[in-house]
Amino acid sequence: MNLLRLAFVLFVANGLTIGGGYAMIPLLQREFVDHYHWLTNKEFIDAIAIGQVTPGPLTVMNAFMGFKIGGLAGALIAMAASYLPCIIIVTIVTNYYLRYKELWVVKAGFAGIKPAMVGLLAAVLFFLSTGSVINPVTKGIAVVSFAVLTFTKLDPSFIIIGAGILGAVVFR
Amino acid sequence: MSLRKIFLVFLKIGTLSFGGVYSMVAFFERELVEKRKWITHDEFMESFAIGQMTPGPPIVNTGICIGYKLRRLGGALAATCGQAFTGTILAILLAAFYLHMKDNPLLQAVMKGVGAAVVGLLGSIIYKMAARMITEYRSALLALGAFMALDLFKLNPITIILGAGVLGLALYWRE
Repeated sequence: MNLLRLAFVLFVANGLTIGGGYAMIPLLQREFVDHYHWLTNKEFIDAIAIGQVTPGPLTVMNAFMGFKIGGLAGALIAMAASYLPCIIIVTIVTNYYLRYKELWVVKAGFAGIKPAMVGLLAAVLFFLSTGSVINPVTKGIAVVSFAVLTFTKLDPSFIIIGAGILGAVVFR
Repeated sequence: MSLRKIFLVFLKIGTLSFGGVYSMVAFFERELVEKRKWITHDEFMESFAIGQMTPGPPIVNTGICIGYKLRRLGGALAATCGQAFTGTILAILLAAFYLHMKDNPLLQAVMKGVGAAVVGLLGSIIYKMAARMITEYRSALLALGAFMALDLFKLNPITIILGAGVLGLALYWRE
C-alpha cells in the first residue's frame, strides 16, 4: 500500500511541476515528510544532497527516498513513477510541438505556475532550514554556499562535499 | 541507430555530467550534435525548448524528446534508462550505506555540514528562479500568494499549483 502511495505522489509531483528539478521539492516535502511521515525533515535534506552529488538529474534523489521507504522495490518504483509522466507528456508534445507552442492556454497556465513555484520553494526552505541551520557554524555554511552558488559557476557537488568535510572536522 | 546505442550514449551523458543544468546541456550538445551528428543544432534547441515547457525535470525531458525523435517510444525509453542508470544505482547504494550507518557520529557530523549547504544551495536556486521568472507585478503576486498559501494557510501544494495555473489563465488571457 505504501508503495502504491509512493508511486502516486511521485507521478503527480513530476506531472504537475514545471520550472526545473527543484520545483518538485515543495510537493514531495509536504507528502513525504508532513503527510505520510516517511522521512524526517533532516532525511529529506540529506536526500536532496544525495541527488545533487550523484551524477545525472536531481530526480535521482527519488530513488534514495524510495529505498528508505520500501527498499529496492521502493527505489525502482520511485524511479519508474517519476519518469512515466515525463515520457507520456513529452512524447505527446514532441508530436504536436508546433501546435502546442502556439497554445495560449498552455502558455498562460504555465505563466501562472512558474512564479508560484518560486513562492512554494521559498516557503519550504523555511521549514527545512529550522532543523539544519541551527548554530553559527551551520549559518556560516549556508551563507557561504548561497554566495558561492549565486555568484560563481562552481558545481554544487563541490560545495556539498566541501561542507561535508567541514562538518566532519567541526562537529566530531 | 540501435536502441542499444541510444542507451549507451545516454548512459555516458548521465554518468559523466554532474550538478548544474548548464553543464549537462553543453554535454548533450557535444555528444549528440557535434560528435555523433544524430540530431542538428536546431533539433537540439527544439528538444531543449520542449524539455523546458513540459512538466517534470527539464533535463530528463530533453533526453526523452531526443530519444523519441531518434527511435520513437523505444528511443525515449532507452534514453531515459541510460540517463538515470548510474545515478539510480549510486543513490540506492548510498541509501543502503546511509541507513546502515545512520547512528555513526562521523556520518552525522558530515551530514550536519551538508544539510546547511543544501539550505544555501536551495536559497541560491530560489534567487536565480526568481530573477528569471518574476518579471512584473503579476508574477510577483503569484509568487507571494503561493508563499503565503503554503506558509500561513498550509494549503496542499497540489491545490496551490492548480490554483496558480487557473489564475495564470485569467491573468494572461490570450496574450
